[in-house]
Amino acid sequence: MIYQLSVPAAVPGVEEIRILEWHGEPGASFESGDLIVELETHKAVVEVRAGQAGVLRSVLADAGDWRQVGLCLAMFSDGADEALPDGETPSDELVVEFDVL
Amino acid sequence: MTDDPIGRLRAMLLIRAFEDGLSARKAHGFQLLSSGEEAVAVALASALTADDQLLTGGRSIGPALARGVNPGMLMAELLGKTAGMNRGRAGRGHFAAPEQGFFGSHAVVGGNISVAAGVALARKMAGEPGIVAILFGDGASAAGALYETLNIAALWELPILFVCNNNQLSVSTPREASNAARRICDVGAVFGMPARSVDGLDMVAAAAAAREAAEHVRSGRGPAFLEMSSIRLRSHSTTARETRSRDELASLRLRCPIEREIARLQGEGLLGEMEIAGLREEALERARAAMVFADASPYPDPAEVLADVD
Amino acid sequence: MSTELATTRMFFREAVRRAVEEEMARDPRIFVLGQDVGSFGGSYREFDGLFAIFGPERMRDTPVAEAATIGIAAGAAAAGFRPLAVITYMDFLMLGFDALINYAAKLRYKTAGALTAPMVVKTTAGAQGQGVAHSQCIEAWLMSVPGLKVVAPSTPADAYGLMKSALRSDGPVVYIDHKRLFPTPGNVPVEPAIVPFGQAAIRREGTDVSVVCHGYMVRVALEAADLLAGEGLSCEVIDLRSLAPMDVETLAASVERTGRLFTLEEGQVTCGVGVEVATRIFARIGNRPWSRLGALPAPVSSNPVLEAACIPDPARSAAAIRALVRP
Repeated sequence: MIYQLSVPAAVPGVEEIRILEWHGEPGASFESGDLIVELETHKAVVEVRAGQAGVLRSVLADAGDWRQVGLCLAMFSDGADEALPDGETPSDELVVEFDVL
Repeated sequence: MTDDPIGRLRAMLLIRAFEDGLSARKAHGFQLLSSGEEAVAVALASALTADDQLLTGGRSIGPALARGVNPGMLMAELLGKTAGMNRGRAGRGHFAAPEQGFFGSHAVVGGNISVAAGVALARKMAGEPGIVAILFGDGASAAGALYETLNIAALWELPILFVCNNNQLSVSTPREASNAARRICDVGAVFGMPARSVDGLDMVAAAAAAREAAEHVRSGRGPAFLEMSSIRLRSHSTTARETRSRDELASLRLRCPIEREIARLQGEGLLGEMEIAGLREEALERARAAMVFADASPYPDPAEVLADVD
Repeated sequence: MSTELATTRMFFREAVRRAVEEEMARDPRIFVLGQDVGSFGGSYREFDGLFAIFGPERMRDTPVAEAATIGIAAGAAAAGFRPLAVITYMDFLMLGFDALINYAAKLRYKTAGALTAPMVVKTTAGAQGQGVAHSQCIEAWLMSVPGLKVVAPSTPADAYGLMKSALRSDGPVVYIDHKRLFPTPGNVPVEPAIVPFGQAAIRREGTDVSVVCHGYMVRVALEAADLLAGEGLSCEVIDLRSLAPMDVETLAASVERTGRLFTLEEGQVTCGVGVEVATRIFARIGNRPWSRLGALPAPVSSNPVLEAACIPDPARSAAAIRALVRP
């Protein structure tokens, strides 16, 4: 199954974040609790952790890029070989947990 | 400088003659005079050098004269004439002559204390020589600005000398009713700086205490606090009514710091009657000359009202 | 708006930081003092990393002592430095009014130009759930002080450009950020550039009414303009940027084109910014239909319902503009 990781609405009032650092490249497997990506708001860093196991398949925004809350950051799948959907097909959201530091 | 006994006496006599002349003038404006407090101003000024800056509250005339500010320019300033150092705009409450070592008065009670600390910070940051002295009254010793500034001056070891001229009255409120500290200088001691109280009617003791305090600040060891107790021989201001009895004022006049110093100098054989009369006449003449200079100067053109706003 | 300038996207705080860093590198007389401005990097992280560059002398932490902080800044300014005093909330500015208003703003005048106080007081305004003494917008009070300059950016680019101008001004200047603008990034010119004082910016062109506002209310006005555009009502939205001095030229020209004025502010309307804007425009071009909206005449509570009820929002702004244009 294919999942998308979107910018979480982690901090009230924040509409746009900057990607600080990815903690894995496409092909990397994540267990529940693993740190996937750190996002930067005007005053805090948001640590986004996997809430389910999965494989990072593609990254749609690099460190330093800006993304609006709700926009897709990366695609995940259960297995490493599953075909990614083409185009704009919406996928289920990857279950994530986040900490605001 | 007024580092010699006769020079200090001259300075006190000038302040008295200058202020008497000002208050005797028919239109003299709103002034805060310092009769009875001359030794405080002169003692402090005698401890300062050309590199130093003095700031005061609104009772500024005596301290400025003691500091050596040109009497004619000062009189012109007080009377609103363009020959004043600030073109007559600032007046007693706000004039500034930094080139003459008088950085300025600020007539909001306590308000100039933090400004003085800023001038001291600038000195420290620029590595410039010279210290800053801030003179304020016992009334200001109740103001919050003093305590904020004492704290920061101590934390940052600023080259600033806090001098409280305790003339015993804040308009009508006696010192005992305006500050709970046993001695006002104790409020400086709390912050770890050398702090002492001295009789501000005793020219010799006051000058020695001022020199000692200034030397501490000058040595780079941070601020010091000096309380000088004095008396106010006039009402709070030229428009304020006197709140004390005739008897009380008469007994206060017997404690005049100028007459006390004259008596001391006479007793020590340093001054004779002739010389004393000469010094008195000289002070009156300088005060008259200042008034002549001020009277000769015009008021500003009304069009100046908008100059130098922004 | 010039579109040919290369820009880079950054947070509001980063725009402020960049301006301060550039100006401090350019002018050794500039130093920062205030609560938590040192190694902590500022309450809003607006000085992140500057402590490492400029050290504790020039990024100077103060105790909680707003009156002395502003007074010390004023004294240091009069003595030749160019301090940037940081007051965390505009409400606390009142603690330092003596030094700012009685001393610094009058220093040039009272000394007939011999002394000036080239200082900047940077503070934050606006409601964000923090209650009656952490929410106020009192810029209108400050505008009435001769000798005081007042600026309030609504974008990171203007935060950058106005802060640079402020640090070069012979001041004193009160520079006001709005807390609700901090989360939103914006594009800032890559090349150093100042935003001069006294220049308003037209944020949206329109034909039916000129909406004059500043700070966070620019966003509110733009949202209201979006709502009204759907009804065929065209708003010109003008961001004052600099409240004192005020760009009456641009404001008056806009109102001459649109024929109506709507003033929007987060502070109180009584003796408010809008009254001053309207009076100056009408003195120049004659009266036009005008209405104003600001906070209700009540303190701004931390209670979210009461706070929202007190402060203008896009819907209430749109309703008021509609009532002005189509009475």
